[in-house]
Amino acid sequence: MADVTGKRILVVDDASLIRLYYRQALEAAGFTVEEALNGLEAIEKLLLEPVDLVIVDVNMPRMDGMTFLKTLRRQGSPIVAIPALVTSTEAAPQDLDAARAAGANFYLVKPLAQDVLVQYVRLMCGISA
Amino acid sequence: MPLVRKSTAAVDAPPADVEELKTALASSRPDERWQAARALIDMPGGIALLGAGLATEADIRVREVIFSGIARTATPEGAALLLQLLRSEDASLRSGALDALAAMPADMLAGRLPELLYDEDPDVRLLACELARGMPSEDATQLMADLLERESEPNVCAATMDVLAEIGGPQALPVLQRSAERFASSPFLAFAIEIAVKRIKTTLDSGR
Amino acid sequence: MNEDEFRRLCEFIYRRTGMVFTEAKRYYVERRMADRMLATGSTSFASYFARLRSDVRGEVEQFINAFTVNETYFYREDHQLQCLSADLLPRRILRPRANKTIRIWSVPCSTGEEPYSIAIWLLENWPQADAYEIEILGSDIDTRVLDAARAGLFGRRALMRLSADLIAKYFEQTDAEHWRLIDDLRQSISFSPVNLVEAAETRAHGAFDVIFCRNVLIYFDDASRRTAAENLYENLLPGGFICLGHSESMSRISPLFDVCRYSDAIVYQRPMERADG
Ligand SMILES: C[S@@+](CC[C@H](N)C(=O)[O-])C[C@H]1O[C@@H](n2cnc3c(N)ncnc32)[C@H](O)[C@@H]1O
Repeated sequence: MADVTGKRILVVDDASLIRLYYRQALEAAGFTVEEALNGLEAIEKLLLEPVDLVIVDVNMPRMDGMTFLKTLRRQGSPIVAIPALVTSTEAAPQDLDAARAAGANFYLVKPLAQDVLVQYVRLMCGISA
Repeated sequence: MPLVRKSTAAVDAPPADVEELKTALASSRPDERWQAARALIDMPGGIALLGAGLATEADIRVREVIFSGIARTATPEGAALLLQLLRSEDASLRSGALDALAAMPADMLAGRLPELLYDEDPDVRLLACELARGMPSEDATQLMADLLERESEPNVCAATMDVLAEIGGPQALPVLQRSAERFASSPFLAFAIEIAVKRIKTTLDSGR
Repeated sequence: MNEDEFRRLCEFIYRRTGMVFTEAKRYYVERRMADRMLATGSTSFASYFARLRSDVRGEVEQFINAFTVNETYFYREDHQLQCLSADLLPRRILRPRANKTIRIWSVPCSTGEEPYSIAIWLLENWPQADAYEIEILGSDIDTRVLDAARAGLFGRRALMRLSADLIAKYFEQTDAEHWRLIDDLRQSISFSPVNLVEAAETRAHGAFDVIFCRNVLIYFDDASRRTAAENLYENLLPGGFICLGHSESMSRISPLFDVCRYSDAIVYQRPMERADG
C-alpha cells in the first residue's frame, strides 16, 4: 500500500479555523496541505497542481461545495477523478444524497475531531493503518 | 504592418422593454437569459421577476449576474429576497444570497442582523455570522459574543469563534472563556476557542 | 509582529485581495507593515489593523502597493505575451472567422507600455500576424496617462526589459534619457477613456478576442469587481480570453469564466455559446 510521503491534500473551506485545524492534524500525520476559500479557487489551484484528495465544505461563498464537485467531475484528466471528502454541518439524509449525486466519495458531519479526520483521509488515500 | 485602427461596432445594449426582457429571461439560450437578467435589475418590477426566475435557473452564470445585480442596486426589496433565500434547500442559492448580502452596504444589514442571529433555524444563524464579519469590530464582537453565550448548536458556536478570531475585541474574552468549559469535550471547539482567545489577547498586548 | 498577529493579518489580506503570504514570507510582510505603520503614524499592530480593516484613506490600496510593483514597463509579465502568441491566438483562429480582424484590448493601459508591448511582441513572435488585421486598443480611466500613452515617449526604466535590437527597431532616441516610439507603431494603436464599472462605457468599445486586464481589479471592492467582470464578459467574443495580473485571480471574483491552464499562464475564457444542458 502507498505511504503518506508526498501525498497532497487540498482543504476547501471558508472558515479559517477549520482550515487551520485540519492543516495541523494532516501535517502532523505527514501530509502536505493546500488551502482554498471556495470552490472556484479550488478548481484553479487543482488545475495548477492536482492533489491526492480534496476535503470540501458545503456552504462557501462564490462557489459552494456541491457546485464545486459537479464542476470538478466535468473537468478533464488529471483532476476529474480526484477523490473528495465532504465535511459539512448538514447531517440530514437528503444532504448526503445530494453530496453523493454531486460526486462526493465520502461524507463526514462537522464538527470533526482531528484523529477521525486523519483516519478517513488515510483510508481515502489508500494508506494502510 | 498588420496593425490596424478601425471604428468599432459597440456591443449591443440589451432591449429596454420589460416584456421583451421577460421573454428573453425564459429563453433556452443561457447567454440571452444572462443579458436579460442583467438589464432587468434596473427596471421597475425587475427584482420580483428575477427572484421568481432564480428558483428554476440552473446556469451558474445567470444566477451570478442576478445576485450581483441585487447586491449592486441594494434595495430593501432585493435584501428581503436574499434573506428569504438563506433558507433555501439549495446550497448554491444559499451561498449566492449570502455573498450578495455581504456585498450590500453595511447599514442596510445592520438592522436585520440581530433578528437573523435569533432565528430559530440554526443554519440561518450560522450564515448570519458570516455577515457579521463585515461589520466594524466593536459591533461584530458584541453580536458574536451575545450569540455564543446563548447558542447550543456547536457549528453555530464554531462560526462565532471564526469571526471572533479574525476581528474580535477584548469584550469577547469572558464569554469565550466561559464557553471553554462548556465545550471541553469537543476537540475542535476547544481548539477554536483557544485560538480565538490567543489572537484577541496578543492584539490586546501589542495595543498597550 | 507575533505569530497570531501575522495570521490575523494574513487572513484579512487573503479574504480581501486573494494574496497569500506563507510563514516563509513573514519577514518580508513585517518589513512592509512596519513601513505602513510608520507612514500612518500607527503605534501598535492593533491600531494599524483597525485602520486597515476600515480602509481609512484607502489604506488597503496603500498596503497592496507596498507588496506589488506598481511601475508599468515594456514586456512586463512576458509569459502572458508568450501565451498570447503560442496558445490564445492560435485557438482564436482555429474556427472560421467572419472577418480577418483580431481585436485585443489593454485595459487599463496606463501610460501605454502594455498595448505597445503587445504590438511589438506580435510583430516579432507571431508568424501568422501578416495574415490578419490586428486591432489593439488601450483604455484607462485617467486621461492624463492616455495623453502620455499617445505621446509614446519613454524613459530608460520603461525599456529595461527590451533588447538593444528591439529598441533600435521600434524607438528613436530623443535625448540621453528618452526614447520615442516610431510613428508607424504609435499611429496604429488607439487610446480611449473608459471606466471599467460603467457598462455604457465598456460596451462602446465592442467585442474582443483577448483582453488584458492587469493590476486593477485587485484594488476594487467586491461589488465593483463583480460589475467589472460582467462588463468584461460582454466585451469578449464567445470563446475569447482574459488575462489578469499575476497576483489576481478571476476565481476570487466571479464564476462567469472558465479557467484555462496553458504552459505559460493561467487565463480565463468566456465559454462558447451554448444551449441548456
Ligand atoms: C497599476 S496600473 C496597471 C497598468 C498596467 N495594466 C500594468 O499592469 O502594468 C492601474 C491603472 O488602472 C487605472 N484605473 C483605476 N480605476 C479604473 C477604472 N475604474 N476603470 C479603468 N481604469 C482604471 C488607473 O488609472 C491606472 O492607470
